[in-house]
Amino acid sequence: MINALSRYTILFTLTLLVLALLSFSLIYMFPGDPLINLTGLVPQNDIQREALIKQFKLDQPYPIQFYHYLQQLFSGNWGYSFISGESLRDEIGIAMPATFELSTYAMVIAVIIGVPVGCYAGLRSYTASDYAINTASIFSYSFPVFWLALIFILFFSLDAGMVPLSGRISLLFEVPNKTGFILIDILLAEDINHSLALKDAIKHLILPTITIGLISTAAMIRITRRSVIDVVNSPYITAARSRGLSKRQIFMRHILRNALLPILPLMAIQVTTLITNAMIVETLFSWPGIGNWLINAINQRDYPALRIGMLAVSTMVITLTILIDFFNRLIDPSREKFERGTI
Amino acid sequence: MPMLDIKNLTLEMETGGVRVKALDRVNLAINSGEIRALVGESGSGKSLIVSAISGALPPQWHVTADRMTWKGENLLSMRSEERREIMRRDIAVVFQNPISAMDPSTTLGEQLEESIPKELVEGKLFWQRKQSRKRTAIGLVHKVGIKNHEHYLNAFPHQISTDIGQKFMIAMALVSQPDLLIADDPTRGMETTTKTKVLKLLARLNQTKSLSILFVSHDLLAIASMAHTMTVLYCGQTVESGHMKHIRKRPLHPYTKALLDSAPSFRNDLPPKSYLPTLDGTIPTLQHVPIGCRLGPRCPRAQKQCVVTPAVRKVHDHTYSCHFPLHMDKR
Repeated sequence: MINALSRYTILFTLTLLVLALLSFSLIYMFPGDPLINLTGLVPQNDIQREALIKQFKLDQPYPIQFYHYLQQLFSGNWGYSFISGESLRDEIGIAMPATFELSTYAMVIAVIIGVPVGCYAGLRSYTASDYAINTASIFSYSFPVFWLALIFILFFSLDAGMVPLSGRISLLFEVPNKTGFILIDILLAEDINHSLALKDAIKHLILPTITIGLISTAAMIRITRRSVIDVVNSPYITAARSRGLSKRQIFMRHILRNALLPILPLMAIQVTTLITNAMIVETLFSWPGIGNWLINAINQRDYPALRIGMLAVSTMVITLTILIDFFNRLIDPSREKFERGTI
Repeated sequence: MPMLDIKNLTLEMETGGVRVKALDRVNLAINSGEIRALVGESGSGKSLIVSAISGALPPQWHVTADRMTWKGENLLSMRSEERREIMRRDIAVVFQNPISAMDPSTTLGEQLEESIPKELVEGKLFWQRKQSRKRTAIGLVHKVGIKNHEHYLNAFPHQISTDIGQKFMIAMALVSQPDLLIADDPTRGMETTTKTKVLKLLARLNQTKSLSILFVSHDLLAIASMAHTMTVLYCGQTVESGHMKHIRKRPLHPYTKALLDSAPSFRNDLPPKSYLPTLDGTIPTLQHVPIGCRLGPRCPRAQKQCVVTPAVRKVHDHTYSCHFPLHMDKR
């Protein structure tokens, strides 16, 4: 157990170190002045420039620069956006939870709908209902997410006018940013009408969540179905049947657990797709998340923001992947203790 | 009356528009208290018979039989719940590969306790029932010859060796106190000492509890000493069946003779580098089975008549299906 934990910790640290190195090298690889790329501060004159170079140790050899860069990262000095002039840490602190919130809701939908439907299709494999579910899931899995989002906007926002077009919450509500999760923030906020604000936020949430959730659900159904079919055809289910256990007992005690165990690592792979989709959808719905923020940074050639944005997004993806894999290791008894950690 | 009585069991499957007969009019009867060996090469359909009896066949198989009864009740026409009840209480199956026949994510103890029928658990309150289950499990594990129960009951299937696994399978089969134990090649791939242990365990169970056993195997040497009766299967057809003693002494079917001869011999007068007597050719694939007697093309005694499926003939308890049996030539 401690052994596994330390393996995963080492893997995590090393991966982050490589990412940090990559983001450090971007300072020099992006066009323009490394000083501006690193800090986002534009020096007014040579004296100020000299002082900044000394302060950020850019006159030192690369390893020392990198060491200093890591120190800065850990202490929270991530530089400034040279478009808005805001601290990048604050901007990401607002944008990242918004993306995380959207992805979480989509994932919850995918698990709540995808796993039971996938199990149903797997148990009824190669029947009409299975074919119907499978067709529907392949159909929705192959929609390009940006097209789907636009279609939803066209039908539900523009034509039907059921839900608002963009944003996170109506400007009428003044919600201070505490946790970054809009629904929790509304509950924590004072002197606003909570139920009205919640209703409004959910109306804003519903379209982007469904857009991302639909594709994740389709993937989930397919993974679960495949896994259940594999387990149902395995010899131990035949053996359980020959012992005269009831269908319910076999499903609850033997099929479900064995089918869900291999799904977890596949879910870890889905996390990447999920966050990518979330970032695309954010742009279309003007959701103030990290995807939208990064696209703006690209459009405005905001190099310090790009450097930190890349580091932040990849850190989130890797943290989630490693956590899921570690969790899977904890609950799956057939995985050996000496097995290596993987991403 | 035999406990399990199967007459003319035929199993068919559609593959690529063609119906292939995997089992062709197989007869099998098991009397109470006997050990019957079901012998045949790999691919002769032994395991299919086991699946057909236990009702674990995949849905694409078509089962037809003139008679398939368990203690007088028709297994084919009964409802699935009744069938499951019979499998739960009366018939138990031990599978070929014990490790893959156990749920990999559950401990052996849990799987064993799960198969204990409700009516055999004592006590009313759940902790009493839990304790009773545990006692039964430990007792069973001891009975099949596993001493270190604490360790093995908490182990997962991938952590144990094959013979312990096989003993657990037997324990799981015995938990419902069945009348018939179907052992589907339980000693496959085991080395000799372990094999002997498992066989001795089965023989002892037969003697002490008068448990009937259907022993499915291709290993004639192993079961020759313990089985009372034997059914020989070739390519989905029953070729001969009768008392072990009679068959060994005077096999009537050429295939049985070939099977008995091909068992490795350790005689002292065996000349060096002598050939192991075997039949030419191999067992045909299901798509290309010959018509009539399926042994036909390989049979040393085959004649023109063998393209017609031979009828089952009977001499006392000894049945065979062959047009030109051994030892019966007209003088």
